[in-house]
Amino acid sequence: MLKAFISKEWIKTRWYLLAAFITITAFAAYSVHGIFRAVSIRGAGHIWEVMVTRDAVFIDIIQYVPLIAGVLLSIFQFTPEMQRKCLKLTLHLPVPAMRSTYVMIGFGMAALSVCFTAALLTISIPATAILPKELAARMVSTALPWFLAGYCGYTLATWIILEPSWKARTAWTFISVLILRIFFLAPAPAAYGKFLPWLALSVILSASLAWLSVTRFKAGRQD
Amino acid sequence: MENVIECRSLTHYYGKRLIYKGLSFNVPKGRILGLLGKNGTGKTTTINILSGYLEPKSGECRIFGENIRSMNPATRERIGLLIEGHVQYQFMTIKEIERFYSAFYPAWRKEAYYELMGKLKVAPGQRISRMSCGQKSQVALGLILAQNPDLLILDDFSLGLDPGYRRLFADYLREYAKAEGKTVFLTSHIIQDMERLVDDCIIMDYGKILLQCPVSDILGKFRIYSCLAEKMPEKDFDGIYHPSLIKGRLEFGSFLPPEEVKEKLDMAATVYSDLQCSHATLEDAFISMTGKY
Repeated sequence: MLKAFISKEWIKTRWYLLAAFITITAFAAYSVHGIFRAVSIRGAGHIWEVMVTRDAVFIDIIQYVPLIAGVLLSIFQFTPEMQRKCLKLTLHLPVPAMRSTYVMIGFGMAALSVCFTAALLTISIPATAILPKELAARMVSTALPWFLAGYCGYTLATWIILEPSWKARTAWTFISVLILRIFFLAPAPAAYGKFLPWLALSVILSASLAWLSVTRFKAGRQD
Repeated sequence: MENVIECRSLTHYYGKRLIYKGLSFNVPKGRILGLLGKNGTGKTTTINILSGYLEPKSGECRIFGENIRSMNPATRERIGLLIEGHVQYQFMTIKEIERFYSAFYPAWRKEAYYELMGKLKVAPGQRISRMSCGQKSQVALGLILAQNPDLLILDDFSLGLDPGYRRLFADYLREYAKAEGKTVFLTSHIIQDMERLVDDCIIMDYGKILLQCPVSDILGKFRIYSCLAEKMPEKDFDGIYHPSLIKGRLEFGSFLPPEEVKEKLDMAATVYSDLQCSHATLEDAFISMTGKY
């Protein structure tokens, strides 16, 4: 059963995932390349100084990439389910509807994790070669809320796409924008610090919203 | 006879618009039942309620004795569902979709699916989205045959199909259902197809069921009457459906035999002559019962 679901999700998203993987990794590599270029021009010491005194992290270019990747994955994965109400076919399978829903969402989260891990490794491994461990860690911790925003963008977009009523979709979109804003409130490096676990928790909780849309779909809610 | 589907006192509204109130019907095991009704009478609403994708305002539906709102997922294994327009996963090929569904149904009959696919001129790697409506209908039918469910719920199976595919679908389905003792509940806009396919029918009008009976009763007993008359009968009388006067000819349908119709016309003080009657097709009976408008 699990294998069948995974193969279905893979068929829908494989080309997008390949493109997303390449794009995210390319953005990460480009941002690291910028640090290396700056080090070669101005020297490592100067870069460390800029990072400490001017709160620079040099990877700002990647800020919204995980979010866009998450939202697009949800669109590629769940729009085909909603075309001509195909979701009825999935929910009619002899499997509890909640399990079907979360296997699909689990696939998306896992796929995003592969992309995001590749991007974080692309940033952190070369960064530790030229920066002190603390500065490299600060760079990663600055990027973590952006990657969490990617997961959250995915779950919230899924909530919106699976919602059967356009009026509710509009309302959910407005709420989602407000929720996602939280991930981009503090521009300072590592600003989220101890708040990160709470952000992660909110991502996990946001995944439950998709079930709300599925139950509304099953009840036949309309505009 | 054991009922596979039991619907009791279904009432549903869309907003403030009443679709129907207190609708009750049963579908006995091993019968093919067609739901007939004009557009907007609630056929798809009924299918949606039956397949668990619409919560009625009140009433309940039971399939295999289980309330559909709290149905055990394993029971769904026994129900084959065809969504209006033969909807299937468009992004899959005929091979991929077969492999996908087979993982969920232990009694999956791969050969039944590929036997039907063999009749289509499509490559195994062809995506469903690139198939014609007729080919998609065969894929959907093939998947249902492979699933081998005890109950088939088919929403407007003839939608978008040309006469050849409609006939193929109806004949294949009837042969399968009768050979294997399956119960079928279906809707279609094309009533000629129903005549070939269904054992029993429910004729729905706005907000209510007009009739539920075997199709053979309608074909054997329902008659279309016409006579010369100058005006409509002065009063309504039971058993006569939607009389209409067109160019001096009064037309109506009825289950009553000609003698009783004559009596009724006389009692209604109707001046008439040249009363003729003919047996009706299912379509004639349907139009006569529900009216042209």
